[in-house]
Amino acid sequence: MSVLKPFVALMLGLVWPGISAQASGPSQPARLVQCADCHSPDSPRLSADYPLLAGQPKTFLENQMIMIREGLREIPMKRGIFDNVSDQEIISIAQHFSKQTIGASRTPKDIALYARGEKVAKELLCGTCHLPNYAGRDQMPRLAGQHESYLLNTMRKFRNNQAIGRDTIMAASLYGVHEDDLRAMAHYFSQLDR
Amino acid sequence: MKNHRSHPLRIAAVVGLAAILPSLASAQSANPAPPPPPAWKQGMPAAMSDSKLAPLAGKMTITPAAEIPLQNVKLPPGFKVEIWATGIPGGRAMARGDDGKVYVGTRAIGRVYEITDNGRERTARVVVDKLVQPAGVAFRNGSLYVMAINKVLRFDGIEKNPNAAPVDLTDNFKLPPEQHHNWKYIAFGPDGKLYVPFGAPCNICELPTPEYAQIRRYNPDGSGMEVLATGIRNSVGFDWHPVTKELWFTNHGRDWWGDDKPHDTLHRLHKTGLSFGFPHCHEGTLPDDAVTKPNACAGVEKPVALMGPHSAVMGVTFYTGNMFPAEYKNVAFVARKGSWNRNTKIGFDIVTVRADADGRNARVTPFMTGFLNSSDQTFWGRPAYMLQMPDGAMLVSDEQLGAIYRISYSR
Repeated sequence: MSVLKPFVALMLGLVWPGISAQASGPSQPARLVQCADCHSPDSPRLSADYPLLAGQPKTFLENQMIMIREGLREIPMKRGIFDNVSDQEIISIAQHFSKQTIGASRTPKDIALYARGEKVAKELLCGTCHLPNYAGRDQMPRLAGQHESYLLNTMRKFRNNQAIGRDTIMAASLYGVHEDDLRAMAHYFSQLDR
Repeated sequence: MKNHRSHPLRIAAVVGLAAILPSLASAQSANPAPPPPPAWKQGMPAAMSDSKLAPLAGKMTITPAAEIPLQNVKLPPGFKVEIWATGIPGGRAMARGDDGKVYVGTRAIGRVYEITDNGRERTARVVVDKLVQPAGVAFRNGSLYVMAINKVLRFDGIEKNPNAAPVDLTDNFKLPPEQHHNWKYIAFGPDGKLYVPFGAPCNICELPTPEYAQIRRYNPDGSGMEVLATGIRNSVGFDWHPVTKELWFTNHGRDWWGDDKPHDTLHRLHKTGLSFGFPHCHEGTLPDDAVTKPNACAGVEKPVALMGPHSAVMGVTFYTGNMFPAEYKNVAFVARKGSWNRNTKIGFDIVTVRADADGRNARVTPFMTGFLNSSDQTFWGRPAYMLQMPDGAMLVSDEQLGAIYRISYSR
């Protein structure tokens, strides 16, 4: 039963903390290549469902991977992908992506949309947590330079209370925000310098 | 082990927001009403809008013993600390079973752990997972009680039968729909009843319905519900005075009111029906300036002790053992997990509160420190709860590093 495997891994980690869990599946470098296929700046898969991982705060990445592994954050296409991946591996995957830089935006800037997004983000006090440059920190993600359609899709899910397993603070923060404002913020954040 | 994949998060999230927030006009309107402030930012005045204070990140990954800088911990002379268990990310409240197993609740990671001591070392397993913040654990008559935000489970005979399937008691307990401040600390009192707090679903607000900001007690099966006290913003720790058997509980004060007010507080419940002031009155004497009413503090119970502004008071444990020096007998130990809503951090320690049995003349004294480096404002651990062991030693849970430390004393 696959249900048992994560707990075996957990117990091995507990009794002998120096030993990482029995990793079945690709080795560490191979696993990172797997992630990059869809999540790197050059990937054609970047979309409403596939975010850029580069430059995300380490704790944010760790937490999301743990939440996905534990089945607390349900992403159908990610189901099972972190089975048997130890905490130690998750920490080093997070480390890897948090150190990467993204590079300049590839989509043209819409001046009016950008200005509106900047204004709305300030009014909603997004910078309190995500910092005034929206680089994020600790458990709060980087918004600056994220893929535009991913930002819009995610903010919509939070606003509509469909972001299952994600922080309830974000659902409350975006409650009732107008669709045009979400679109403007998504464009604004995606255009920001990395 | 039973798989509890019943999407509790979906239910909690949908019901939660629907309950607290008024239904807004369609988001498609040209000039929609401004959305209500999110729960944790309510009451944030315009003057603080540049603030970058935000809740501190927890750690959801295992921390090996070698990475725990226990040498930084300071205790009074004669006391020593050692690592008792590691590898339990998010571990906070503890409850000890009849056979000596220690059960540990968590919040975000959704697990309850069971720790077994074979005399040489401690090993842990996950009893149940995928729950919505199962912070509340209590043990009685061979059964483990687990309370998540939206679920109450009882595992009978679990120490001898690790595969015990839980009995679902949720419907009996009439849990409110809102999530915020409704992760639990629970405990059985000397009267055999289960004591359960219900926090306010906001930072500072008029309560949407009367079922929040209170402490209740129930029979173990959820029947016989009684509201014992009201006006309590968020209590996540309590114990009973060894002599008077009265309930003493901690409370988290509101945020976004400046670095120095209001204090978190320690209270004593000397009879049922008392009011502790939230939302209109803080610390028993300070009227709120946003949520007001005439004579806001009239009839409000004053705290036993002020526990530091925004310090995040958690577990209370009265020491009744014989290992520590006599001066610690019947003294309350209180864990302060540490502040986020303050520009200079405080807490990240355990203090003692020495007071008369009726709560007067309280003195708060640091006991276990060293988790916070004041000069650079970094911290490595966040003590959350204590558990007195049969030999008189005291366990301390560190929610940040997912570890439990053991404090002992010898002359």
